[in-house]
Amino acid sequence: MKNPVTPFDDPKARFAAGLFGMWLLLIMLGVLFVSAILGYVAVRIDNGAEFIPANAPPLPLLLLLSTALLMVSSFTMQRALVAGRAGEASQGRWMVATLGLALGFLLTQWLAWRVLVGQQIGPSDNLYAWTFFVLTALHGAHVVGGLVPLAITTAHARRLEYTPSNYRGVAYCAMYWHFLGGAWLVLYATLWIGSRH
Amino acid sequence: MTTLDTRPITPPVTDNYLTFRRGFLSWAFTLDHKRIGVMYLVAVLSSFFVGGVMALLVRTKLLFPGEVSWMSNEEYNKAFTLHGAVMVFLVIIPSVPAALGNFVLPIMLGAKDVAFPRLNLFSFYLWVLGAICAVYSLLAGGFDTGWTFYTPYSSQSEAGGIIPVLIGVFILGFSSIFTGLNFIVTIHKLRPPGMTWFRMPLFLWAVYATAIIQVLATPVLGITVALLVVERAFQIGIFDASMGGDPVLFQHFFWFYSHPAVYIMVLPGMGIISEIIAVHSHRHIFGFRFIAFSSIAIAIFSFLVWGHHMFTSGQSPLMNVLFSAITFSVAIPSAVKVFNWLATLYKGSISLNTTMFYGLSFLFLFTIGGLTGIPLAVISTDIHLHDTYFVVAHFHYVMMGSALIAMIGGLHHWWPKMTGVMFSEFWGKIACAMVFVGFNLCFFTQFMLGSQGMPRRYYLYQPEFKMYHHISTGGSYIMGLGFLITAIYLIHSLFAGKKAPANPWGGASLEWQCSSPPPHDNFATTPRVGDCYDFSAVHWDESTQGYVVDAEAHIAAAHSGKGH
Repeated sequence: MKNPVTPFDDPKARFAAGLFGMWLLLIMLGVLFVSAILGYVAVRIDNGAEFIPANAPPLPLLLLLSTALLMVSSFTMQRALVAGRAGEASQGRWMVATLGLALGFLLTQWLAWRVLVGQQIGPSDNLYAWTFFVLTALHGAHVVGGLVPLAITTAHARRLEYTPSNYRGVAYCAMYWHFLGGAWLVLYATLWIGSRH
Repeated sequence: MTTLDTRPITPPVTDNYLTFRRGFLSWAFTLDHKRIGVMYLVAVLSSFFVGGVMALLVRTKLLFPGEVSWMSNEEYNKAFTLHGAVMVFLVIIPSVPAALGNFVLPIMLGAKDVAFPRLNLFSFYLWVLGAICAVYSLLAGGFDTGWTFYTPYSSQSEAGGIIPVLIGVFILGFSSIFTGLNFIVTIHKLRPPGMTWFRMPLFLWAVYATAIIQVLATPVLGITVALLVVERAFQIGIFDASMGGDPVLFQHFFWFYSHPAVYIMVLPGMGIISEIIAVHSHRHIFGFRFIAFSSIAIAIFSFLVWGHHMFTSGQSPLMNVLFSAITFSVAIPSAVKVFNWLATLYKGSISLNTTMFYGLSFLFLFTIGGLTGIPLAVISTDIHLHDTYFVVAHFHYVMMGSALIAMIGGLHHWWPKMTGVMFSEFWGKIACAMVFVGFNLCFFTQFMLGSQGMPRRYYLYQPEFKMYHHISTGGSYIMGLGFLITAIYLIHSLFAGKKAPANPWGGASLEWQCSSPPPHDNFATTPRVGDCYDFSAVHWDESTQGYVVDAEAHIAAAHSGKGH
């Protein structure tokens, strides 16, 4: 076994514990995102139509592109998992694609921010803009944090280290990545509904 | 007649977790849950000292209403805020799960370690980082908002240390989350053969219920303080009424975490009490399933009662009634526990030692703390009592009189196991009595103060409150002295204490079946388990001056159903 730091003698038991731990982590992060979204929903409903300032532009169209990039990255991540679980050589390629798409997502989000700032809507101008910047930053921070495991997993996958008997790393990474995709869809949908009069 | 096999499960060892490796680095990078538990313990008790000094300063200032030369009123605000924040976030929340739980939990399960040892060490360093942020916040100008960080105080106060301490609270929250996550997985996946859920020690049930709250509630605190930091930095946010935000939303978010957090603090303490009461009265715990399920019931209720902190915050009357009614329901599982502990004591062979002193103190103080919660759950009386010393007294009876006293009791209970030495029973009892008397003098008087209208957090008061304040401060000094004596005799025992046997109290759970202090990897082989509250196979052994568990008879009794 590559990494001996575990109280489990049986690798299968260790993997099962790891998956369980990941589920708990994702539930915890789910609570975090749901709370943030509920906070937004509460002030959005409180303020009614006045929440949206008269000069507010619509949500940047770039967000559609970033959403597409993240969805495709979920697909490539899943392919990497399947390849890793089968010990196939394509695991490295799929992980590199996922990492590239993740960086592309972050770049597009950044550009979307720039578009808004260019339209004179910054995070400290009004609550409408503040909530947009804060919620997208919250999600973006989780994507940035996810780059670390993603990069490590990519390095392992490029060395074809995932095999049918040990593909823990890529499995945990895939769980987290799909979660971020789901969280973004909910967040984006909420922001889109909230941006309509 | 067969000869009793009185050998402990693990053979006597010369090596233990303290001597396994030596040197600073062997501690700083240890993955051993016992060492991490000990490091947490040292860190938590050091913070307790800081928080305690702050409390004594606050009480001393209150000897004299109004201005005093040695502490300005602003400094007073910062002192009570620091006291509250340190005691809640750095002391009580991590005290039982992270310090004692880390040490005991895997041993009670007969496991080598927690499920994720590296995550465990990471949690500890998150705690350290959070504590550093809290210390830095003092250097940056302190914080004066009260430990609840209510907006708009926290978004507008001129104190310079608010953002650093909020970042500290955020980090400490994640330390707590990862500890809880680790414990849930450990309890699910590392129970030994034979340890069904209903053969699991009640301490673990309590820690499990706590861990669920830690994982589900703490992220709400995390996002709340994160939003507050951004709000303070940008001077705009969803809690800012002038921009269309809602300061009461902060209270909802804060209490959605912080009420369950009350149970993060007290549930593990209740678990300790279940162990102390059963082991030191040498009697099978009464109503095992009731105590176990009441922990889960409390955990569930804890999520449904946060609005009782906000009866006067402009909540709708319907919400007030609902929150009031659900709050009453918490009395049921709490009382179930107390009655079962009393029933366990009844006709028990009680060892009236220091640990049991703390156990009995808990029963008394928790009962007062619980019963005084009722007038605060009744909306009409709460409107009178809200933000008075009555509330201060109530939560100190629960947080300190219950959670912290249980923690100190647990510290004594497992001290011989952790350190391998016995402490002075004589000084232990004296110190416990001083803490008990001092505590009641300090806080019972505050019920009188509060019911007569003395608001909390004020540095000024009417002349008629003077006597109560003086008694309260006197009590705090007695209590402080009691804790000082405790620190002295415990530290003294490390150097001059009698060597502890493996099982000094006569416990039957697994931690008493490995040597004191335990070996590095706890058990050579995964032990088989019996009923951890069946003391029929526990015998006094003159040669070791301790108890021994006859493992075969213990397990046989469990399988024949005699244990229950």
